Amino acid sequence: MSDSLVFRMGEFEAAFPTDRQYARNHMWARRQDSAYRFGFSAYAVRLLQDVYFLDWIVEPGLDLQPRQEIGSIESKKAEASLYAPIAGRLSILNPELLDDPSAINVDTYGIGWLFEIQPSIPNTLEEDDPSDLMSAQEYVAFLDEVWVATQRTIKGQLG
Amino acid sequence: MKPEITVVVSRGQNHDPAERTRDHEIADRLSARGDLEVLVVPHLNDLPANAASLAALRQRTGPLIVFAWLYPRAAHWILDRHKIAGQFGATRIQADADAKSADQTPSDSPQESVERVVDFRPLPARSIYCIDLRDCTSTDAVHGEVERILTELGHGAFRSSVGSSEGNGSRPWQAIADDTQRRWYPVIDFSRCTNCMECIDFCLFGVYGLDESDTILVEQPDNCRKGCPACSRVCPENAIIFPLHKSPGIAGASGSIDGLKVDLSQLFGKPAPDQHLGQIARQERARQLAASTNPSTSATSPPQAPPHSDSSDDLDQLINALDQFDL
Repeated sequence: MSDSLVFRMGEFEAAFPTDRQYARNHMWARRQDSAYRFGFSAYAVRLLQDVYFLDWIVEPGLDLQPRQEIGSIESKKAEASLYAPIAGRLSILNPELLDDPSAINVDTYGIGWLFEIQPSIPNTLEEDDPSDLMSAQEYVAFLDEVWVATQRTIKGQLG
Repeated sequence: MKPEITVVVSRGQNHDPAERTRDHEIADRLSARGDLEVLVVPHLNDLPANAASLAALRQRTGPLIVFAWLYPRAAHWILDRHKIAGQFGATRIQADADAKSADQTPSDSPQESVERVVDFRPLPARSIYCIDLRDCTSTDAVHGEVERILTELGHGAFRSSVGSSEGNGSRPWQAIADDTQRRWYPVIDFSRCTNCMECIDFCLFGVYGLDESDTILVEQPDNCRKGCPACSRVCPENAIIFPLHKSPGIAGASGSIDGLKVDLSQLFGKPAPDQHLGQIARQERARQLAASTNPSTSATSPPQAPPHSDSSDDLDQLINALDQFDL
């Protein structure tokens, strides 16, 4: 594994490899030829814990709007709808997860990847840099900002 | 002689190992009594109309006790859709929040003058008790509740007569196999539905139709767009259930309660909840329409900024809260 940055979540250290980028919805993004491959960041996996069910409501070939609902996930502790991290054409859903999503917990940065999107990058942007994606450093700074909202989300429901 | 009572255990579709064993434990425990017919079937939501499981259940005319990984209302109206109909039996196995909100049958509603579909198309007299397996955390509690239901049904005498003829032996449960795939469709709670036709006017995919007496029905369930619950939001009586929807209110929870699990949707990009339900419903419909007619076009809402908060609690507390959230 390449170098990682660490974000402490209580006793847990969430690691973010610096060889890839991160989206605001807590997915990592890594260039695979002309597409971006996405998966959950260690932060997201820690919040979800054991993933039991993953369901997609979209199919490869579909053009996705940013934040369009694309599926849902259910874990031991939580459930959530999932949304497109960037705009683009969905090219593949990880077939290995369709029957058994546990690879998300086993290897979220490797075989637990979720899907690939061919980004619809406006010409004005640099080729490898869709504006929605952050470096690992930027993502850690982003987590510092958003955990407050995260906490409110969870505590509000627990309360 | 009273018609036999049948217990139906509908399997989960989940990969949660605890869920996988729970339905079998309950089938085993109730079979061991020896006085109940126990049928194990695939997940109710996913059964096709021609499923052997449904044919078998249609032959049972006595009371049903149905365990499913669904809200009781969802299970009840899925069965009703397949002509396995009866009175809604109230169970005492409920999530805490559910118990507080009590039963929301139309008779509890202040709008007593409104005519519901069940008022002019009554349900058969036999009772169907639907129990949510998510609430069945103890097989002892399940067994106790079944005892209570049997008493409520006046089943005691029958039980002892069967016991004497068959001895104390258990009666093995019977599994009925069907090929199932995950399905997505609405079912209508006719104890709430007023036949107002909002849904048939709203849906652009031909899901809804009318029966020979001009009563609304889900005519083409498989025309429904997977993941789209838009018609449920426009229903003025909240009578449309999407059994597999993530939101309890749409999936058939008895009141407007929250689910047991933390909803992390906002973290993963859910738009802020400041839109009117009708607006959300129209956007969902428009997106589904665009996807169904031309995959290269799309209609959707503009992205919205995530919510911000000035709270200053720390992340450790958050994680501790998650760890303590024991289901």
